[in-house]
Amino acid sequence: MVKYGLFLGCNIPFKAPDIEQSMRKVFPPLGVEPVDMVGASCCPAWGTAPSFDKGTWCALSCRNMAIAEELGVNIMTGCNSCFGILSEAKHFMHDPEVAEEAHELLAKAGRTYTGSADVYHITHVLHRDIGTEKIAAAVKFRQDGLTVAVQAGCHVLWPTDAMAIKEENPFFPHMLKDLVEATGASAPHYSRIEACCGMGGMRTTSVDKSMKILAAKLRSMKEEINPDLIVTGCSSCYMQFDQSQEQLRASGEIDFTIPVLYYTQFLALAMGFDPAQVAAISAMDRSALIAEIQNPARAVQEV
Amino acid sequence: MSITLTKEKITATVKIITEYGGTGIFKCVQCGACSAVCPSIKAGFPVLCRLLIKKLLIGQLEEIIEEPSSWACQACCRCSEVCPQGVKPQEVVFAFRRFQANELAISTASTTSLIDLHATGHAAHTTTYRELRAGVGLPEQPPTTVSDAKGLQEVQTILENCLMGELGFY
Amino acid sequence: MGKIGVYVCHCGTNIAGVINIEALRQYAETLDDVTVARKDLFMCSDSGQEQIRRDIREGLVDRVVVAACTPRTHEAIFRSVCESAGLNKYLFEMANIRDQDSWVHSHDPEGATEKAKLVLASAVGKARWLQPLDDKFVEVTDAALVIGGGVSGCFAALELANMGHKTYLVEKDPSIGGVMAMLDKTFPTNDCSACILTPVMVDVAAHPNIELLTYSEVEHLEGFIGNFTVTVRRKQAYVDWQACTGCGDCAAACPAKADDEFNLGLNQRRAAYIQFPQAVPKKAVIDMNACINCAGRKIGTAPKINAKTGEPVLAPCEKACKAGAINRSLPRDAGGELLRLNVGSVVVAAGFRVMDKHNFPAYAPQSPNVISALQLERLISATGPTGGALLRPSDGGKCKTITFVSCVGSRDERHHTYCSGICCMYMIKQARLLKEKYPDLNIYMHFIDVRAGGKEYDEYYTGARRLGINIMRGKVGGLQTIPGDRLRVLAYDIDQLESVEIETDLVVLATAIEQPESSQKLARTLGLQLCGSGFFRELHPKLGPVETASRGIYIAGCCQGPKDIPYSVSQAKAAAAAAAVPLAQGRVRIDATLSEVDKELCSGCGICEPLCPYHAITRVERGGRKYAEINIAQCKGCGVCTAACPSDAIALHGCRDEQILAQIAALTA
Repeated sequence: MVKYGLFLGCNIPFKAPDIEQSMRKVFPPLGVEPVDMVGASCCPAWGTAPSFDKGTWCALSCRNMAIAEELGVNIMTGCNSCFGILSEAKHFMHDPEVAEEAHELLAKAGRTYTGSADVYHITHVLHRDIGTEKIAAAVKFRQDGLTVAVQAGCHVLWPTDAMAIKEENPFFPHMLKDLVEATGASAPHYSRIEACCGMGGMRTTSVDKSMKILAAKLRSMKEEINPDLIVTGCSSCYMQFDQSQEQLRASGEIDFTIPVLYYTQFLALAMGFDPAQVAAISAMDRSALIAEIQNPARAVQEV
Repeated sequence: MSITLTKEKITATVKIITEYGGTGIFKCVQCGACSAVCPSIKAGFPVLCRLLIKKLLIGQLEEIIEEPSSWACQACCRCSEVCPQGVKPQEVVFAFRRFQANELAISTASTTSLIDLHATGHAAHTTTYRELRAGVGLPEQPPTTVSDAKGLQEVQTILENCLMGELGFY
Repeated sequence: MGKIGVYVCHCGTNIAGVINIEALRQYAETLDDVTVARKDLFMCSDSGQEQIRRDIREGLVDRVVVAACTPRTHEAIFRSVCESAGLNKYLFEMANIRDQDSWVHSHDPEGATEKAKLVLASAVGKARWLQPLDDKFVEVTDAALVIGGGVSGCFAALELANMGHKTYLVEKDPSIGGVMAMLDKTFPTNDCSACILTPVMVDVAAHPNIELLTYSEVEHLEGFIGNFTVTVRRKQAYVDWQACTGCGDCAAACPAKADDEFNLGLNQRRAAYIQFPQAVPKKAVIDMNACINCAGRKIGTAPKINAKTGEPVLAPCEKACKAGAINRSLPRDAGGELLRLNVGSVVVAAGFRVMDKHNFPAYAPQSPNVISALQLERLISATGPTGGALLRPSDGGKCKTITFVSCVGSRDERHHTYCSGICCMYMIKQARLLKEKYPDLNIYMHFIDVRAGGKEYDEYYTGARRLGINIMRGKVGGLQTIPGDRLRVLAYDIDQLESVEIETDLVVLATAIEQPESSQKLARTLGLQLCGSGFFRELHPKLGPVETASRGIYIAGCCQGPKDIPYSVSQAKAAAAAAAVPLAQGRVRIDATLSEVDKELCSGCGICEPLCPYHAITRVERGGRKYAEINIAQCKGCGVCTAACPSDAIALHGCRDEQILAQIAALTA
């Protein structure tokens, strides 16, 4: 079984542990073993060290990557921000000035970074290492007939020069679409597929402005493909979609809501795992959707 | 009021931005491709990408130190992806943000996450996570710095010895 | 030993701004054999030249050293000054104290002055050993070759032919006309491209001095100015062009299809086809990559016999051809035929291509409604796939809104850093033509800035604004595809400081002009250099714009750099004039600074022969022994043979041992 260091970040273990549980559930049956990165910290988030000092950013990121190096594994992250932060830090370590500061701080913390561990997003591992055929074969409930709006999230798309795996065309991504369609669901293109959800620094700075971006994205989904659910590859996008739609409806910006799942939650449900473990925490009520995903009529007949 | 341009201000501003990591600033030809795709400009934060670079290139630095736009940058880097001149506008935005941060022109939200990062190793920390985790069948503590004293000690060592340590957040 | 005159040039402030001219002049006076040391603000000016002449005539000097800019531009000037005063021009030497000193050491005036002294001492040291030499002459073949049959090549050929020189025009496509033949109308006068170009193409074909070789490519070139031998491959057309009348019946009968290159893939042509309706020559070719060998009629095989009628079963193209130009029974060499041409000079007008939209992932290249500006030319041309109607490629539907995106691949360090020069103008032209034809059409144009710096160009641009065409400053950042094969343009209005979204039916990308990969091969074949940007390098960006480092080979049109039609035609005529000079002179002068073999010393070992990069050396046998002989017309004076000769039998005039040793001695003193 291929081993990957499971980099949790902050939001997933503290705010959405059902996502963590879904990752821990889906990977082993697909031949990938998530390994705990004991002592890992925040990646560090964009608003912290990266907003103060590049060297400190790289030192904290490299400390996390050094944990994977010691375990002899590559890293997979569920959070797009973590993926972006770690990938870029790895990229910046080619700058001698930044690297010098980072190595000095790491030495004080008693860690060494060599750059031997690659950084992947979980969708990369699912798409490249596992592949859609294996995923399709592992699905216990076929999702044919469901229409999904996919949201890959910005940090797996750009900047391509810092990434180990890239979309063929990052402006028209298809990896998450392929992964969703492996379950039998359809994930048609919608015009704002690559657009930002408004989470992150934008929301911290102004919730109202962040909502404008989200509303435009939701309307594009609703009007163009009328999806049954949204599936995200990013835990931050997931939180934005889950927590903000009600607010938008209350203010009259939209007259609909669309339930949302993180990809491994969707896959875990389709693989038959217990919703109470893998899709238990949400602001929006999505019980009807979950029941539909695990509708006995969808069950794959054992041959 | 007109803006007065001086060589000294322009030189000093470009130097500060370059030192904070915005090394591509001089390559900018002000084409605007970055601004065309910036989600935060769409949302209504105008002083990002092209306009921020323009202001910096004419020596406006102290004048815009309280500007909130830079903190709305999502770091999505789509600007850098479409820039035809290799400016990497996102790195200029972050360089300006670093200038603001080191001058303590930051929000309370940022301060809170910095304090959390030092105290727990996590910037987005909560107090209710144990129940949530137990509820979905996970151990109450994740295997991160919150449950690993050695790891937390390492993070604190880095934070206390770096330049940020001098700003007095923790 | 001689009497050496040293002349130090200020070159305005170019040299004097860094180097202490008076100190250098005084230093010159201390050097052996220097009889005169003078300075001048501009040594190459009338007064400066006259001073040198006067000193020669008065017998003060019999060797001349000028310390100045660079021999690259000024050696010939000062040599002729010497010559005009009665001094052998090879008794002149130049010290390069500008390009190789003041310009590169501007931060260090003292160091630069010291270096100038060394460089000058070295030149003076060499001057003491200079010897008078005589120029050589070779006879010239009175014929020219023009490579490329676009508008530049056509005009270069016509000019040469009109001056009375036999001219071969080689074009890779079946017809001449190039990209201009694909255009609808031309800026800034909106005259129809075909209307003004077709008569020129006909003139070319009809000219008694022009031999047109289309569907042909230059494979090999050897020789030198005045005497080039060129190998041209005539591609196999599988149609007897002597018999072909250009009726097009074969194309009408042919069932096999391929993308129509002339319409840039917007539609399909047949495997048997005539390139375009106004083709010159108007001859059919069969594209064997697309041909499906109907009725099993592979080339060079006997036809099957119809069992009932006893008649041979012919392919549709054969059957359709009333002129009998298509006979698939005849064996034909797929490689075509090789021709050898002898010419005295060559004009390269190999043209350009526009970048493909698939290089630009942000601009939705997968959408059929994103097209290049050249495709739009075909779309609005009366001879194009829609007969000139602006219809969306996705469904043939009408367009209500069209968007133009400038600088796609130009001014972009990921692709080409240069400005393609013509995009602003042709986009404005396209927008104006469309607005005149479809007044209700909503047109948006996005520019970084509008570059309209040509005669009557800016008036043409401001006219577009008056027509109600929306012009916005700000480069487009991306496109989104919306249902119905429409597009959303992600733009930014620099003047409003606002991001802008526009939903549109058709997006036109002004993709960059660039050189195809094949130009690298052509450059190797011809021995030409390419610039970093991929275009052919001219001899001098200002003073030698049509000449190349290879004497006798000239360049014109977009293969030299992006340019519009007026500029291309001007350059073509200039290149033709330059290419006609050796032909008109009948013989060409060869610099005397060449290698020469001392037959007495040469052992005939042959070491030098394969080393010569210009194939100038052959071994000949005379009087029972072998020795090396150098063809002076091919020798470039590089000195490789001189350095390699174990018998010291080869002298390089102008760089003889004693001259070089004197330079080294001065530099190391």
